[in-house]
Amino acid sequence: MTPLLGIAFRNLLRAKRRNALSGGTMVLGSAALVLGSGLSDGIAKQLTANLVAVQTGHVQVVVRPADFQPQNSPFDAYGQDHLPQAMALAREIEAAGSTFGVARAVPYLQLRGTAIAGNRSSLASLIGIEADREPELRAAFPPEAGTFLPDGDPLATYIAAPIARKLRLGVGDTVSFVIQTPQGAVNSRDAIVCGVFRKNAPWYDNAFYLPLASMQELVDWPGGATNVKVTLRDGGPASIRRAREAIAALVAESHVAPEAKDAQVRVETFEEAGRFSFSIIQANETALLVLSGFLFLAAAVGIVNSMLMSVHERTREIGTVRALGMRRALVVRLFVLEGLALGLVCAALGVALGGSIVLYYAATGIPMNTITLAWMAGGDVLFPVLRAASVLRAGLLIAGLSTLAAIYPAFTASRLEPREALHHV
Amino acid sequence: MSSLLLCLLLAAPTAEAIVRQADRAVLGENATYTLRMTVERPGRAERVVEMRGWKKGDDLGLVRYTAPARERNTAYLRNGDSTWLYLPAGEKVVRVGPKQNFGGGDFSNGDIFRLSLIKDYDPTLVGEESLDGIPCYRLDLKAKDRSVAYDRVVYWVRRDGTFYPVRADYHTLSGKKLKSLAVSKIARVGSRERPTVLAMESALETGSRTTLEFLAIEDDVKMDDRIFTPSALEKGE
Repeated sequence: MTPLLGIAFRNLLRAKRRNALSGGTMVLGSAALVLGSGLSDGIAKQLTANLVAVQTGHVQVVVRPADFQPQNSPFDAYGQDHLPQAMALAREIEAAGSTFGVARAVPYLQLRGTAIAGNRSSLASLIGIEADREPELRAAFPPEAGTFLPDGDPLATYIAAPIARKLRLGVGDTVSFVIQTPQGAVNSRDAIVCGVFRKNAPWYDNAFYLPLASMQELVDWPGGATNVKVTLRDGGPASIRRAREAIAALVAESHVAPEAKDAQVRVETFEEAGRFSFSIIQANETALLVLSGFLFLAAAVGIVNSMLMSVHERTREIGTVRALGMRRALVVRLFVLEGLALGLVCAALGVALGGSIVLYYAATGIPMNTITLAWMAGGDVLFPVLRAASVLRAGLLIAGLSTLAAIYPAFTASRLEPREALHHV
Repeated sequence: MSSLLLCLLLAAPTAEAIVRQADRAVLGENATYTLRMTVERPGRAERVVEMRGWKKGDDLGLVRYTAPARERNTAYLRNGDSTWLYLPAGEKVVRVGPKQNFGGGDFSNGDIFRLSLIKDYDPTLVGEESLDGIPCYRLDLKAKDRSVAYDRVVYWVRRDGTFYPVRADYHTLSGKKLKSLAVSKIARVGSRERPTVLAMESALETGSRTTLEFLAIEDDVKMDDRIFTPSALEKGE
């Protein structure tokens, strides 16, 4: 096999221009595959990181209406209803959770309202958090100006850069919040901007973080929350499954009952809670699959054409080697190996090209200049991710495709009769 | 002297009676009306909307835009605790909250359709004072429960026997003043004299103000309950 593979590689050089042209398709195809996977993996990483760090943790406890149907909105991850005994439940999960990998269990309270500053107002997403217990959120939303929510300052608020720009707010400025409490009354509160975090996913554009106690006062829910966000030490699927079952058992034991008759307490993984994010990830993967299909088809046609031309050009040569006793099987093997050799060379060049582009943009980021792109990418800058598995997959697929595409021309070559082939002009 | 003072005290109306009278100062129990709403926002062009309204008791209300032409037939309906908005462009009826703003102004849907304060508040007469030279009763209205939009309303009502409201300051649960309503321009509209201009000003958003001017009012009009339904809203009945 090895001498035959050597001959196969050498044969590639006999028709440099033709092989370069058909190989070029494969180089571009494999580069596009690596790049596509890098973009898709980057989007998946950003959306998942946003979801886990900022909204749901790996697992969350939340109250949902019995007929709850996610509307594919990023806000679906937040609960809308009061989660009774949320503070106690969070403490209980954290205390018992050391056996099933819980790093932290923190309550938070989210509600939408209006933010007013001077003569400007805007819809606002108000989120009450225990600031000192949110290291993931702090890392996900680093301050662009000022500081993250300081401990023990009930008047502080940490806000997103887009809403800061819209309301002309800077560090030290006062903003008023007006909300309708779940009971129906209108309530208000003033806060002082302690920091502004850089723009992230567009659904955080209107976010205001407040100390949980201040938010509870504003919503008129002393000790209340909408979610318990559970972060695990290991975010692997098996750990999440195990933690979810254990937390569900704890919730059942603690007899937490929602106030609304038609509501239920649910323990959800971040994948269940973040349907919106995962539908984007799924859409990207489907688009990549369809794109790959077309790329493969185009590359395969190129390879078949190139190999058939090679068979045609080498008819007399095939006739000679067949007349000298080369068996049909060996002819087939030689042409298939030529396909494999072409595929390996092109895959190596393609993944090197695609990988370099991904690594470049992983360092610099790709600006997502339109709101649609920002929603799709889960941020205004996309950082692609180069995974060894994606590189290997693209390489193997291209090499495999090239080998498979060589089978038909190989059999065509093997079927040539030596007598007729030698007479070929 | 002491008996005269006693007589005067006995003659002074109760807080409940004052609020009950003030509730009916602008619109009676059943009425139809024509209204002009002017929304002022700093840095933006003034927005003027004209509308026709129907009111039956405290629970049924309907307002339909008549101008500008591009917004004609946009309608708000109040039936009991529910409020709907009809947008003719999309031919859709959507449920809206009573605390959401009405037509993009400073009035909420509840402010427009729930003009009766006595149902939701326990009033206390705290004194008498002059407001812009008008002798008034000053009342403190405390919400009966936490489902009422404004936890506290400070209310000034004319002391001249007309019981026309003069001003109302609406406060949130935290005690912060949210907005102020000024009631003015007493004129004969329809069958009687009444205040005809209601101006709501935000206490939080500088320069934000919405004025409602009643152009025509017809009192004691008989109305069919069926016009106050979402399906009638859609049909434009």
